Amino acid sequence: MRLAEFTRSTTFRWAITVAVAFALGTLVLFGFVYLRTEVYLTTRIDSLIVGELEVIATAGPTLRVDLVDSRLRGDPRRLKLAGLFGADGHRIAGNVESLPAGLKIGDPPHEVEVMRIDPDSRGLQAIRVVATRLPNGDQLIIGRSIYELDDIAAILESALLLGTLPALSIAVAAGVLLSLRAQRRIEAINQTVLRIVAGDLRERLPARGTGDPLDQLALIVNGMLDEIGGLIQQLSGVGDDIAHEVRTPLTRVRASLERGRDNAATLDELKAITDRAIGGLDKALSIVTALLRIAEIEHGRRLAGFGEVELAGVMHEVAELYDPVAEDRHIQLEVEATDIVIVRGDRDLLFEAVANLVDNAIKFTPADGKVELKLLKRADEFVIRVADTGPGISESEREVVTRRFYRSDKSRLTQGVGLGLSLVVAIAKLHGFHLTIGAGPGCTIEIAARQA
Amino acid sequence: MTTPPIENTVHGGSPLLDTGVTGRAAQPGSERMTRVLLIEDDDETAHEIVAELVDRGFHVERAATGGIGLEKARAAEHDVLVVDRMLPEIDGLVIVETLRGEQIRTPVLVLSALGGVDDRVRGLRSGGDDYLAKPFALVELIARIEALLRRPTDTRETKLRIGPLELDLIDRAAYRGGRQIELLPRECRLLEYMMRREGQMVTRAMLFEDVWNYRFVPDSNLVDVHMGRLRHKVDAPGEPPMIHSVRGAGFVLRAPG
Repeated sequence: MRLAEFTRSTTFRWAITVAVAFALGTLVLFGFVYLRTEVYLTTRIDSLIVGELEVIATAGPTLRVDLVDSRLRGDPRRLKLAGLFGADGHRIAGNVESLPAGLKIGDPPHEVEVMRIDPDSRGLQAIRVVATRLPNGDQLIIGRSIYELDDIAAILESALLLGTLPALSIAVAAGVLLSLRAQRRIEAINQTVLRIVAGDLRERLPARGTGDPLDQLALIVNGMLDEIGGLIQQLSGVGDDIAHEVRTPLTRVRASLERGRDNAATLDELKAITDRAIGGLDKALSIVTALLRIAEIEHGRRLAGFGEVELAGVMHEVAELYDPVAEDRHIQLEVEATDIVIVRGDRDLLFEAVANLVDNAIKFTPADGKVELKLLKRADEFVIRVADTGPGISESEREVVTRRFYRSDKSRLTQGVGLGLSLVVAIAKLHGFHLTIGAGPGCTIEIAARQA
Repeated sequence: MTTPPIENTVHGGSPLLDTGVTGRAAQPGSERMTRVLLIEDDDETAHEIVAELVDRGFHVERAATGGIGLEKARAAEHDVLVVDRMLPEIDGLVIVETLRGEQIRTPVLVLSALGGVDDRVRGLRSGGDDYLAKPFALVELIARIEALLRRPTDTRETKLRIGPLELDLIDRAAYRGGRQIELLPRECRLLEYMMRREGQMVTRAMLFEDVWNYRFVPDSNLVDVHMGRLRHKVDAPGEPPMIHSVRGAGFVLRAPG
């Protein structure tokens, strides 16, 4: 990645913004600390000098001079100032050369500049000062240097330099590093997405398993890709099924039409052949319709039709529809559904599922056999059971029969496109129901689900 | 599935061209030919449909695009519209919605390659009167067009009578001549449906949709079995048949003679 590109990146800008905000915050903090310290120190100095002034002012004239002198002794840092001046302003004692300009006698502590005289030097000094006129007309001033405040400012300044600048540089460096890393991951994601867009649906976004937001996003997108991949596979599966299964009837249609064109001697013969061809086409079309329906149901597009369905009613309706057929084939169709069981589902689809099971059962049951349609309640679930006295399904076949198009060898002679059970499985799955094929004798198929 | 052999087929000639089965497509008491507007963009499909309709005595006009079709339909000179759903320019359903919005009530049969349940619901909700998924048998198309043209006139009537056959909907009792016919509830609805469409062919799909309200059944021969039962009851041995099978298509109920 080029530098220009990097500095334009959002993450880099964020890093810079955060660093600047951090620096400003620190400055404000230090300023606040300085101000508070200054106020505190000034208050302390003021109370000190006011106290001393009071002590010295209340002493007698001789003691006063001693007190001034003793105050000034033992002050290695040269903080203290004191001065006793006569009424005319001449210096009596202390280390202040003369009454300073700006001094307000009798006022609360304030700041002035004085000429300080020491045994070996003199110089100007900024001080906090308080002064009073004594009963004998003398003037007493007490002061204290404020260069401590400058010290504090200097300390804070150096702390700012020593502490903040490294912290600031660390913040910027961390920001740059993080943004570089994020940038690199995003770059990796972009590359992957581009490959996916180009058609490689097996690609997945890199995830590091840390669970950070970028990782979570990658996981969600990967889940989405899995789902899309599954759907596409199903779709192409449907396409393959259609191509494969429709080819057989179409081949037959083609052959019979060809033979009819060449061999039919009479119009009636040609008509018969045409009828067969139409029948073959209808069969091919019904396969396409059935496959598309299964796909439609499998993809769960029909949840919109869900409502409360009373199962016993559905089962009685199916029995009513199939009763004449069963009777014609000398099969006893028994329905036993008395419990009121209400589930959430698509009534038409559930009807279709039960109808398909009964249809299959009747087809596979020989004459004088029996088909039972029962609604059972077991613990907290209900079971729709369709049992017949037909040949049953062998254990090895039970898994396979639910696949599209599978027809057991025994059923080759029975008509039907072999999609019935796949459809039932798809409908059961859509409803979250569970389909099991039981052991013989005969065939027992159960759809089980929890009651709504 | 083995179904009982169909007992009464229409005798003589090609059953589908039997005038008694399809009618002459003329409105009762009118000399005017029935006018159909077909809006279909595929030339070959349109050609076959037009040829079939003309054979059956309809006057057919065809529009190849939605725009032209809508213009023609607006003139409201047609007795029935057959509208393909996927058209260039304007979607077939938009045409139907537009017409209904303009208070043009010509019956519409929607044709569509989309056969899903939702597609059908959408087709009917937009104002179509019937919905037929492609590919369809031509005879199914004709039966549905005729059903739209001859809607049952008075559905509040509770006593139906066709020739010697009588059905009392309130008592759920049927008589043929003096003979009483015992009917199961579903058989009663089936007979009512057939009697209200006397002389008109009804297909298996129509029966499933209208009498049973099912769209998908595992085996369409089921209708034949139920119809066989009903016929057995209505047409006793020795009586002239009233319920006829139309081979490969459906059934028709007609007064004997």
